[in-house]
Amino acid sequence: MPYGWKGQLLRINLTDGSAQKEPLNMKWAAQYIGGRGLGTKYLLEEIDPACEPLSPANKLVFATGPLSGTYAPTGGRYMVLCKSPLTGAIACSNSGGYWGPELKFAGYDMVILEGRAPKPVYVWVYNDQVEIRDAAHVWGKTIEETEDALRAETDPQARISGIGPAGENLNRVACVINDKSRAAGRSGVGAVMGSKNVKAIVCRGTGAVEVADPLKFGELVFASMKEINASPTTSMALRGMGTASTVGFTNSVGILPTDNFQRGQFEQANAISGQTIAGTVLKRNKGCYSCPIGCARVTETSGASKWKGHGEGPEYETIFGLGSDCGVGELDAVLYANYLCNQYALDTISAGGTVAVAMELAQRGYIPPEDLKEVGTELKFGNADAVMRCLEMMTYRQGKLGDLMAEGGYRLAEHYGHPELFMGSKKQDFAAYDPRGAKGMGLGYATSNRGACHLRGYSMTVEWFAPPDMRLDPFTIEGKAKAQLELQHKAGCEDAAGICTFSAFGGLTPDKLAPIYNAATGENLSLGDWMTAGERIWNIERLFNNRAGLSRKDDSLPPRMTREPLTNGAVQGQVVELAPMLEEYYRLRGWDDDGNPSAETLARLGIE
Amino acid sequence: MILAHPQKCVACHLCEGACSFQHEGAFQPARTRIFVHDFVDEAVYVPVACFHCKDAPCLSNCPTYAITRDSLTGMVQVNDDRCIGCKMCMVACPFSVMGFHEEKNVSQNCDLCGGEPQCVKICVYGALEYAEVEPVDWMLRLDQAERPAAAAG
Repeated sequence: MPYGWKGQLLRINLTDGSAQKEPLNMKWAAQYIGGRGLGTKYLLEEIDPACEPLSPANKLVFATGPLSGTYAPTGGRYMVLCKSPLTGAIACSNSGGYWGPELKFAGYDMVILEGRAPKPVYVWVYNDQVEIRDAAHVWGKTIEETEDALRAETDPQARISGIGPAGENLNRVACVINDKSRAAGRSGVGAVMGSKNVKAIVCRGTGAVEVADPLKFGELVFASMKEINASPTTSMALRGMGTASTVGFTNSVGILPTDNFQRGQFEQANAISGQTIAGTVLKRNKGCYSCPIGCARVTETSGASKWKGHGEGPEYETIFGLGSDCGVGELDAVLYANYLCNQYALDTISAGGTVAVAMELAQRGYIPPEDLKEVGTELKFGNADAVMRCLEMMTYRQGKLGDLMAEGGYRLAEHYGHPELFMGSKKQDFAAYDPRGAKGMGLGYATSNRGACHLRGYSMTVEWFAPPDMRLDPFTIEGKAKAQLELQHKAGCEDAAGICTFSAFGGLTPDKLAPIYNAATGENLSLGDWMTAGERIWNIERLFNNRAGLSRKDDSLPPRMTREPLTNGAVQGQVVELAPMLEEYYRLRGWDDDGNPSAETLARLGIE
Repeated sequence: MILAHPQKCVACHLCEGACSFQHEGAFQPARTRIFVHDFVDEAVYVPVACFHCKDAPCLSNCPTYAITRDSLTGMVQVNDDRCIGCKMCMVACPFSVMGFHEEKNVSQNCDLCGGEPQCVKICVYGALEYAEVEPVDWMLRLDQAERPAAAAG
């Protein structure tokens, strides 16, 4: 058995109901580290990138990394990959919780779902035994109902990754959720699972994950744990207030997107901030498998409003998506909307983005009254009732408007003749940083291979969060292309290795992560090799996208970002000067003018 | 023994990984000797390991006298040579903290890693604490024993 890996993948042909185990391609595993890189490589080899995403020709890959299941800090993550029905590009959504490690313990590094089941099924994996079982009784059920039912009929310790009603109804912003509230959120991976008629993969494993050099591995991990526990960012901000700790800051400088990015400051930001959450609705914090940070929020609504429930969240991005971006400043409402998204299995960023677009379309009078009537309450910024109603409508495709919203914000805005009001890139909604006040993020959104994403190249870290002497001026475009390159490679390696990108905030930077990877797998990558692997991952994703028909024209931002300046806060008067940054970015990447990796670049990276 | 503070636990299961890594040389929660019980819906997470009970039901119920108490440390320990894998101790344990090693066909409980428990070392949340078996006050043990029940409601 190879170290760090189980050396085996599970291939399930849903069309004929067969399941096969096959050896993992270890050459690819070494080249692409794992998870995100390896999954993309398999997809590129096995499917036609130009295929219809919701057809049986697409495949859905669940991929862990070599550190998933070990006690490497935050080593509990896995990725869900396919061709995205939202963007038409590669989709690779990352999730934590416990499911990824459980798959490793069951003996598999990856699961590949192929074809389409003739009727709803779920997959039950117990070590060597794999069963494809009927899922008629849980089809249509929410995440919580599904998990409880499937756990009761399999194993009380089973971990479950699956879809809710949104995925079943092929909503293009549906996600895959594991452990009741951890989401592989973006790019509509849930819709692809739904198109395959698979409700869930239920997993229980009792095996072991071995590492090449246990002594060294233990030593490096303990040193890193100590550092993460001593870092104020990870042990105080993230552990104490979660990702929501960011709300106060982004709002103060004016980049907390509000009312569909029409503004960068939200009057009610304080009511939905991390501090407020920690002081009111927070029951306790939680950690994913093997996590020394513990940023997850277990919350319960205050009971003082009509919104009542309990669950996990909200994250910063959710507070923006379902809160400020829709103008909602009532904390209980944001919590409730978050719980709804978790139950329906909707991506909170894109679901929020879609509702926000609908609200702006309504605000400007672009939606005819007969369509608006379907909502049953006024579709306007700040109306929490409208948010809940829209989430329900888009999940179950209710009415014309619900059906349109289920197609995502871009297609909705396009239908009503105003695609420019959609705030995103490659048809995927922006995350919670207005790029006009952090221009590196603008370049990052535009070039992200899976459509707008804050984590592909999280340049907020160097533009705003870094100590002043190490900061890149957020308002200039100088150095942003280079910074994006490095950040994109760094994040690629983290996603591939199977750890969480937040670990870097606690000091687990690439120079420390590469040795941990080496000790786990027995490879011997230098820091340079490690970053090159990140570049290889980025380029193979790009190759997939090029073959899927995407090109330079898709590395774009909506005109609001490039022409309409922000009007409040420190970022007043700023727009994103995308074109020159993109120019420099392509040059540094070794891509041609249309954004295709050149033959030399591919050869240099060893991409065949 | 391992004193647990469930209110500080975040259910990261790092202790289980560290335990199996120490004893098996690999990451295998199924072989752990410390167990984190997640009550997800109630948001209660309870780590428990062998309490090395003063009147240990596992010890008194072992048909082959494989479970003994170390006279020096007071620890309850399983002697692999004598264990026949009947799992009587697992049934008898009031806290279900007796584990089982399938390949070796023997029971296993927390051995405190010879005085330097890895689970305590890796728990950055301070949910686990190490105390030597004998000096621990009986009332404290009782408190520990009652905690999981109280926490779970």
